[in-house]
Amino acid sequence: MATRGSDEIPPPHLAGVGELAAGEQPAIGTAVPDVPGRRRAEVIRRVVLYSVLVALALLYFVPFFYTVLTSLKTEAEGLQGFKLFPDNPSLHAYRELFSNDSLPFATFFRNSLFLAGTIAVLEVIFCSLGGYAFARLRFPGREVLFMLVLATLMIPDQLRLVPVFLMLTDFPVTHWNLTQTFRGYILINIVTAANLFLMRQYFLTIPKDYEEAAKLDGAGYFKTYWRIMLPLAVPALAAVAILAFQGIWNDFFWALIILGLGDSSHLTVQLALSQFVGFYQGNWPALMAAATLAIAPVVVVYVFFQRYFVAGITSAGVKG
Amino acid sequence: MAVAASPKRVKSVGNERLREALVGYAFILIPMGIFGLFFIYPMVYAFYVSAHEWGGLTGNAGFVGLDNYRELWGDKQFWDWPPRFHSATALWNTFYYALLVVPLQMALGLTVAVVVNNLLHARTFFRSAFYFPALTSSAAITAIAIYILNSQGLLNAGIGGVIGHDFNHPWFGDSSTALESIVGLNAWTTSGTMMLFYLASLQAIPTDVYEAAAIDAAGTWRTFWKITFPLLKPAHFFVAVVSVIGALKIFDQAFIISGGNGGPAGSTLTAVLYLYQVTIGEFNYGYGATVGVALFLIIFSLTLIQRLLFGKAEIGY
Repeated sequence: MATRGSDEIPPPHLAGVGELAAGEQPAIGTAVPDVPGRRRAEVIRRVVLYSVLVALALLYFVPFFYTVLTSLKTEAEGLQGFKLFPDNPSLHAYRELFSNDSLPFATFFRNSLFLAGTIAVLEVIFCSLGGYAFARLRFPGREVLFMLVLATLMIPDQLRLVPVFLMLTDFPVTHWNLTQTFRGYILINIVTAANLFLMRQYFLTIPKDYEEAAKLDGAGYFKTYWRIMLPLAVPALAAVAILAFQGIWNDFFWALIILGLGDSSHLTVQLALSQFVGFYQGNWPALMAAATLAIAPVVVVYVFFQRYFVAGITSAGVKG
Repeated sequence: MAVAASPKRVKSVGNERLREALVGYAFILIPMGIFGLFFIYPMVYAFYVSAHEWGGLTGNAGFVGLDNYRELWGDKQFWDWPPRFHSATALWNTFYYALLVVPLQMALGLTVAVVVNNLLHARTFFRSAFYFPALTSSAAITAIAIYILNSQGLLNAGIGGVIGHDFNHPWFGDSSTALESIVGLNAWTTSGTMMLFYLASLQAIPTDVYEAAAIDAAGTWRTFWKITFPLLKPAHFFVAVVSVIGALKIFDQAFIISGGNGGPAGSTLTAVLYLYQVTIGEFNYGYGATVGVALFLIIFSLTLIQRLLFGKAEIGY
């Protein structure tokens, strides 16, 4: 197996990257051979299995189902105790969210989209550049530097809180105050070790023949990376983009520290939600409409690209 | 091309090496710059700040050595001796939370993984479906939990239906159930991620092991406990480490349900919430850095202990 920092927690295996490379779902082998006289046991096993499945499905979906249903109720209906379906489904609660001038939801939604989109693009660029260099280019100190990258996975955000906050308040040399700015928030999120690692592992699975052919054709290093390797790495790039988008869209801790302490113009959807909990107290439909909208973009991305999610998570470890 | 290596060719190979190295450094320049500036340097800087009296208005007010650490040692809000749960101390609240949530989310994750792995149809669909809560943001999930767990909420309605009379317990509003409710909430959301790790390992178990078990007429239950469960040891280790580290960092849910104050009655004051209060709430950067260093040391040593207990996670059957 490839070199890896001794302090880093090794993922169980790299099925994720393999899955991305294969482009298809791996077959899940659980077939138990048919032994005569075991039909009855098999039937019981199936009944138990599907009962547990139904119970789990209820546990996992009912809260979301109920959330969306409540968001379609009126404020009075939301207070009527337990009631599953709205009498007259309406988008009243959503209109209320968007017409609130002191906590303008449209602004928060735009802020979140802008940050998650920008950072996803930047992470794709810089994680693929770094990942390619660590996978393929030979330069002195490569292994040591890569260990250093992996070691950053061991540094908890909590240790970084005070130093990073102080640095952003008074940036070294330039003395910029980057708190309450999108620049500051984007700057600390340009690369993550987990996504750089994912890109490197993916580049390692691509046969060297492609680069050698490119070299024979006289392509330089950057051209080989840009024209040959990036197109081959599209599944991994997609995984990085999606994980970055989801990570930033859902982020609470750093958004709170960097964007959450001033006026509300820089709030993200998630930060706004934590204020809505107090603001819309008792107005359950409005709160649930906000929760639905805070989940929706990630769900849309997930429905279309779920393969990349799963592969990215099982190969690069855990984010957040 | 010339067969004999001319001096010129040797020189060009050397140039090629240099070029490749320079391109390599150029490619990693910005990523390494970010890692250096916002990860590695802050690690050193945190220790530096923690050795200083450093406030929001005064700035760096001088070197105080280990004073901040001495203060933390005697800080009854951070920890107390002997350990008591439900005592409004940040560290014990956090440990208590981890103690409950880790086994729960591992068990739930493993259950879901085994169920999904045994399905004959729609495995991919259910894998995605059960991962769904893990995908959603902590803030949205917490808002939903506040709704469902409120005294007139869905959970109480369900309990009331089962026991036959009205039940109106404010789960987050009562200091004896607030943290426990976060345990339930997070075990549920995190179990999807744990399921993915377990599924990956379940799929790596070769089928001939099960064929042998079937020939020996071992039942489903026995097969699971005697074969599947022990073979998942590397996954158990990995999932346990990830769960414990994640549990010790609990913050978002505690912040949102208490509005940042750790209430009711300090029951949701977690270690990271305390760090936030000291740093952002009181502008006490020197002491905040000290709390951060302490948390880092605790997380780091627990990871090492876990590694010693379980051994290094080796893959191979």
